[in-house]
Amino acid sequence: MVVWARIRKDFPVLNQLYEGKSLIYFDSACMALKPVQVWEAMEYYYKYLGACGGAGRSTHSLGEETSLLTQEARVKIASFINARSQNEIIWTRNATEGLNIIAATLPIKKDENIVTTSLEHHSGMLPFFKRCQETGSELRIVNASPDGTFDVADFEEKIDDKTKIVSFVHASNLTGTIAPLEDVVKISHEHGAWVVSDEAQFAPHDKLDVKKLDVDFSVLSIHKACGPTGIGVLYGKYELLEELDMFLVGGDVIEDVVYEDGKIIPKYLPPPHKFEAGLQNYGGMLGAGAAIDYLQKIGMDNIHNREQSFSKRLLEGILELEKFEVLGPLDYKQRAALVSFRPKSDVMNHNDVTEYFNDMIPNHKILMRSGNMCVHPFQYQIGINPGKGEGVTRASLYIYNTMDEVEIFLTELENFARALD
Amino acid sequence: MSEFKDQNVECIVAILKKKNPATTKEIMAMRDLFPELCAGCSSGGDVILAGKQLVEEGFVERKWTSEGFAWKLIKDSEE
Repeated sequence: MVVWARIRKDFPVLNQLYEGKSLIYFDSACMALKPVQVWEAMEYYYKYLGACGGAGRSTHSLGEETSLLTQEARVKIASFINARSQNEIIWTRNATEGLNIIAATLPIKKDENIVTTSLEHHSGMLPFFKRCQETGSELRIVNASPDGTFDVADFEEKIDDKTKIVSFVHASNLTGTIAPLEDVVKISHEHGAWVVSDEAQFAPHDKLDVKKLDVDFSVLSIHKACGPTGIGVLYGKYELLEELDMFLVGGDVIEDVVYEDGKIIPKYLPPPHKFEAGLQNYGGMLGAGAAIDYLQKIGMDNIHNREQSFSKRLLEGILELEKFEVLGPLDYKQRAALVSFRPKSDVMNHNDVTEYFNDMIPNHKILMRSGNMCVHPFQYQIGINPGKGEGVTRASLYIYNTMDEVEIFLTELENFARALD
Repeated sequence: MSEFKDQNVECIVAILKKKNPATTKEIMAMRDLFPELCAGCSSGGDVILAGKQLVEEGFVERKWTSEGFAWKLIKDSEE
């Protein structure tokens, strides 16, 4: 049994008063808080190691331990997402970098196309938009339905034998939609297309099994999974990683650089090192490993079930007030533990809503995010105009939140709603 | 006001010099009048942070109203 109150104690930021008020942190879709175990792992690196690790670097004792611990962290990530091997795990800065690597190194011809959706985070769309601009390839966009769900038939219509890759968000950071990834992978593979899934909002909250999904590439941001900032993961099927071009070149990616007759002949390493040029974020890798240990100790099923109960109550409570428009599916089972909403009356800016909850309620600061969550295209599609300053407020929850906090938020939201009358 | 002003500090001061006080919604709409000053994402978070900095420094007052926050420039230079 998980003692959730004990978990909360691992997050000292929540056990303090800030400007004399208790913190209710509802911004985990942007950045998850870090448990003490994560920063202890990072502190160990910076305090007791601080050395180079990785391929072809220092073999002295501190270098050896750094290499061993970072290799262990890579194995933990592989196990966490059920990859076939740790060699399918590439360290990146974040999910955005992973998506940029795929888009930039993908072998694509002018007469081929890339498929993505209107609900992608800009990071899942713009790298592919840019690549298509460079190559003259076509970018095809599947529109999400107004309620943020997808019709699989729309993918059947857009994906064809000339589709090279489909970039698809597994759980939306705006609507919380859990997308039909398995169906899209099946359709894509029938046409010989690859699929890259954006797992930034899914993997920290539910069990991700890349082998079962048969997805070709996936990207994760460790900072959304209780880990440190500046470290992410790109997963790829090994044989496909071999097909991709180099991204960054320099140290750590080469077996040798031969200099012969005035000519340079580089011999590059295979994946994963092929994509990890230069000294790496070793402290971040150790923190990532500790974060994965932490989540797995709680159990991803336990996390998912608890968050579903939050989603259910949050969604019901906001809708009951009848004063707010909620983005995304209204069935909590179809969504992650986040709700984006906005007052039905157009009286104030979305920033006022988050600032109200940050500063104006007694005893608590409820920390949320407002804006467009880097998903502008879908908002234009449903009639929210980011260019005119329109946007939403997002409450996003995680393992350290409680149902009491959900109830406090709903009570305060009701008070806020009265002010809209 | 800090010598090394964030561009968005200049943005919000320029807007409040044109309309004082102004609600957040009005400020967001008026950013288009000062495109060289009002930088950042269209969601306006940069402008809000700049405004809060000015409140901290005593140049701007912020009050809650039925139309959201109203921002008022009360001085625009060190006295």
